[in-house]
Amino acid sequence: MRHGLTISLGLAWRSLILVRRMPSVFLPSLIMPLFILIATAGAFRGISQLPQFEGASYLRFTIPLATVMGAGFAGINAGMTMARDIEGGFVDRLVASPAPRITLIVGPLIAAGLRSLFTTTVVLLAGLIGGIAPPGVSGTAVVYLLAIGFSCATACWAMGVALRARTIQAAPLMQVVVFLSVFTSVAYAPREVLTGWLRDVSDLNPVTYIMEASRAAELGTLGWSELWPGLVAVAGLIALLGTWALTGLASLGRR
Amino acid sequence: MSPAVVQTAALGRRAVVGTLRTPQALVPSLFFPLVLMAIFTGSFGGAPGTIPGFPPVRGFLDFALAGAILQGILIGGTSAGSAFALDIEGGFFDRLVASPVSRTAILTGRILGGVTLAMAQTLLFLAIGVAFGARVEGGVRGVLILLVLAALLAVAVSGLGVILALRTGSAEAVQGTFPLFFALMFFSSAFFPRETMTGWFKVLADLNPISYLVEAMRDQIIETEATSATLIGLGVAVALAALALWAANSAFHRRLEGDR
Amino acid sequence: MAEGRAVETEGLERVFKGGIRAVDGVDLAVERGEVFGFLGPNGAGKSTTVRMLATLLQPTGGRASVAGHDLVGDPAAVRRSIGVALQDAAIDPYMTGRELLHLQAVLHSFSRDAGRRRAVELLARVDLEAAADRRVGTYSGGMRRRLDLALALVHEPEVLFLDEPTTGLDPISRLTLWNEVRRLNGEGTTVFLTTQYLEEADQLAGRVAIIDGGRIVAEGTPAQLKAQVGDPTLTVTLADGSQAQAAEDALRALGELLPCRTGTVALRLPAGAASLPAVVRALDDAGVAVAGLDLAEPTLDDVFVARTGRHLEAEGDDATAAAAPAPA
Repeated sequence: MRHGLTISLGLAWRSLILVRRMPSVFLPSLIMPLFILIATAGAFRGISQLPQFEGASYLRFTIPLATVMGAGFAGINAGMTMARDIEGGFVDRLVASPAPRITLIVGPLIAAGLRSLFTTTVVLLAGLIGGIAPPGVSGTAVVYLLAIGFSCATACWAMGVALRARTIQAAPLMQVVVFLSVFTSVAYAPREVLTGWLRDVSDLNPVTYIMEASRAAELGTLGWSELWPGLVAVAGLIALLGTWALTGLASLGRR
Repeated sequence: MSPAVVQTAALGRRAVVGTLRTPQALVPSLFFPLVLMAIFTGSFGGAPGTIPGFPPVRGFLDFALAGAILQGILIGGTSAGSAFALDIEGGFFDRLVASPVSRTAILTGRILGGVTLAMAQTLLFLAIGVAFGARVEGGVRGVLILLVLAALLAVAVSGLGVILALRTGSAEAVQGTFPLFFALMFFSSAFFPRETMTGWFKVLADLNPISYLVEAMRDQIIETEATSATLIGLGVAVALAALALWAANSAFHRRLEGDR
Repeated sequence: MAEGRAVETEGLERVFKGGIRAVDGVDLAVERGEVFGFLGPNGAGKSTTVRMLATLLQPTGGRASVAGHDLVGDPAAVRRSIGVALQDAAIDPYMTGRELLHLQAVLHSFSRDAGRRRAVELLARVDLEAAADRRVGTYSGGMRRRLDLALALVHEPEVLFLDEPTTGLDPISRLTLWNEVRRLNGEGTTVFLTTQYLEEADQLAGRVAIIDGGRIVAEGTPAQLKAQVGDPTLTVTLADGSQAQAAEDALRALGELLPCRTGTVALRLPAGAASLPAVVRALDDAGVAVAGLDLAEPTLDDVFVARTGRHLEAEGDDATAAAAPAPA
C-alpha cells in the first residue's frame, strides 16, 4: 500500500515533468481557461443586466466556468498522455513491472489534480487583476475542491477512453464530451434564465450542480443547500468514471 | 471559354470534392458553430427585449444565426489553406506549376473552392435556422447579400490560408491559425451586441473588422441594424478580400521565383 | 529464488479475435543460466509468446511458469523476477535516460537513494554516462537499445527477455550488445532471446527453438539442428585442372567425394572447419596447387527449410552459402 502510493507519486511526477517538456500540448490547456474567462466575461457581459443576476459582476460569475474548464483540460491531458504511452509502447514498461496496476491510474490522477490546482490559481489571479477579490477562505477552498474533483472525474473519463481506443486519435472524443458537458450546464447564465432544451438538459447534467456550487462559493452565497448537490455530483462522477477507467485498465492484458 | 477559366473551374471542383471527402475537415466547421448557436440561444433567450442595447428581434436565434454562419466560414476557410499546404507538401503543387496550367488558375481554383463551400454552408445554416423558427427579414435580397458577404469573407480567409501555405509549406502551421480566428470571433460582436460591451473589450470589438462583417450579415436577417451596417460590412469585406488576393498573388509569385 | 526452470510452458496458446491462433500450443523448457534463442520469421508468434511470458498479454490456453512462478497465478512474482527489453518501444522520448532509470527504480520499490545509486551504476555499465541527462528523443538507435537494456536490469532480474535486440543496429552496436549478453549470462542471468538473425542465434544461444505459425518446428543446440539437416561441404578450386585426380586421391580418406564441376573437387566434411588443417596438409603433401577453399555449412535457415519448406527470410548478411550443403 505504501509502495503503491510512492509509485503513484513517481508516475505523477513524470506526468508533471511532461508538462514542462511538451509546451505545444500543454500550453493551450493552460491558456484556454484564461481565454475563456476574458472572452466570455467581455463578450457576454450584457446578460448580467437581467434581474436574475441580482447585480452580480459577470466576471465573477464567469470565474467558475474558467476553473471548471481548466480542470476539464487537466483531465483530458491525463488521457492524452496515457493514449500516447499506449500507442508508443511505454505502457508496457509500467505493466511488466511489479507496480500495482492501479498506480497507472492513480499517478496521472494526482498529476491532473495538481494541474487543475495550478489553472484554478491562474484564473483566480486573473480575476484579481480584473478587480474581483477571492471569496474568503472557505469559498476559495470550495472552488479549488470542486475543480480538483472535476479534474479527477474527467481524467478518469479520458483515461478510460485511452485504455480502450489505444491511440492518440481518440483525443477529439475525450475533448468533445468534456466540452459539451460543461457547455450544456450553466456555463453562460444561471439556470433560472435558461430557455428551451438547454434548461432541461442542464437540469440533468451533473456539471450544472458542480458549477452552481462553485459559483455560489465565488459569489459568497454558499450555503449547505448549494454545496451538497455539487459534492454529490463530483463524487458520483468520480465513482462512475473511475469504474470506467478501472475496467479499461483490466482490459490491458486481454487484447 | 478561356483555358484559365476552365482550369480554375476544374481546380475549384477538385478543391470542393477533396474537402467533402475528408470528414475531419468538414465536421468542425459544421458541428461547432451549430452547437454553440444552440447553446447561446438556450442561455440568452431572455436577453431580447430585456437588456438595454439589445436590438429588437423575434428571438435570440435570429440574432445568433449570423455569428454561426461567420464561424463556419472562418473554420472552413482554414481548411482551404491547409489543403493547399498539403498539395505543396505532397508535391501536387509542383506538378501543377510544371504543367501548362495557367498560374492564376492554381491560386484562384483553390479560392473558388473555398468560396463555393462557404456559400453552400451559408445556405445550409440559413435553412437550419429557419427550420428552428428564425426568419430572414431581408427576404431574397437579404439572402443574396449574405451570400456575397460570405463569398468575400471566404476569399479573405482562404487567401490568408493560402499565403501561409505558400510561406511555410506546412499544413500544421496553417491549422495553427484556427485558435487565432476563434479568439478573433469572441472579441467581436459575433455572438452578442457591441452596444452591451464596456471598457477595453468594447474598444477591441469596435476595432475588429469581423464585428462589421457579422453585423452586415445579421442585418439581412433581423433588419434592425442601421442600413449603413450593410454598406460598412460590404466595404470591409471587399477591402479584406482585395488585400488577401493581392497578398496571396505576391506570395505566389515570390515562391515561384524561388524566393521562399 | 524459487525452484524450477527459468521458463517452462506447456501447450501455451494465444488466440486473438477472429480466431487467429498466434501461438498454437508451444512447449518450452529453458534451464537456468542458459541463453535460449527463439527464432522464426515475422508473424510466427515470437513476440506474442514473449509478451505472454512478460505478463503483458494473457494466454488463452496452456500453462506457463517463469522463474518458478506460475504465470497466471502469481504474475506479481513473475514481474519481480524478470527484466524485459522489447523492441525499442518502451521509451519515453521526453524524459532523460537518468529520469527513466529513476522511474524504473521507483516502479520496483527502490528507495530514492538506492534508485539513484543504481542508475549511476547502470549508466556506467551501458556506457551512457555522457548522455544520461539528455532527452531520450535525441538518442541514436544504439543508445536507445542500451538504455532499454539498462532499464531491464535495474532490479537484477533472474530472467531477461530480449525481443530482437539488435534489429536495425549497426555492426559495432550489435557486437557491443552481444558482448553484454555474454557478460550477463556469465553472471548467472538466464537470457531468453528472440531474433530474426541466424548469426545472432548461432553466436549467442546455447539452445534454440524455431517457431513457425505459432508452433515449435525444431528445438536443440544449433550444432544438433544443423547436423540433422546435413554435413558441411568443402569445395576446393584447383589452380591446375589437370591435378583433379591427384586431389581426389589425396582427399578420399578424409570424406565422401561428391559430384562437382570441372576444375574443382567437392567432399563431405562432417567435422566441418575442424577438418580443414588435415585437408590442407593432404593437398600440400600431394603437391596440389589450390586456388580456393569454400566451406559451406548448413545454416539454421536450412534447418527451417527442411522443416517447413520455406526460408526464414532473415537479413542478407547471413545469406551467403555459395554451395548448398550435402543432404543428410
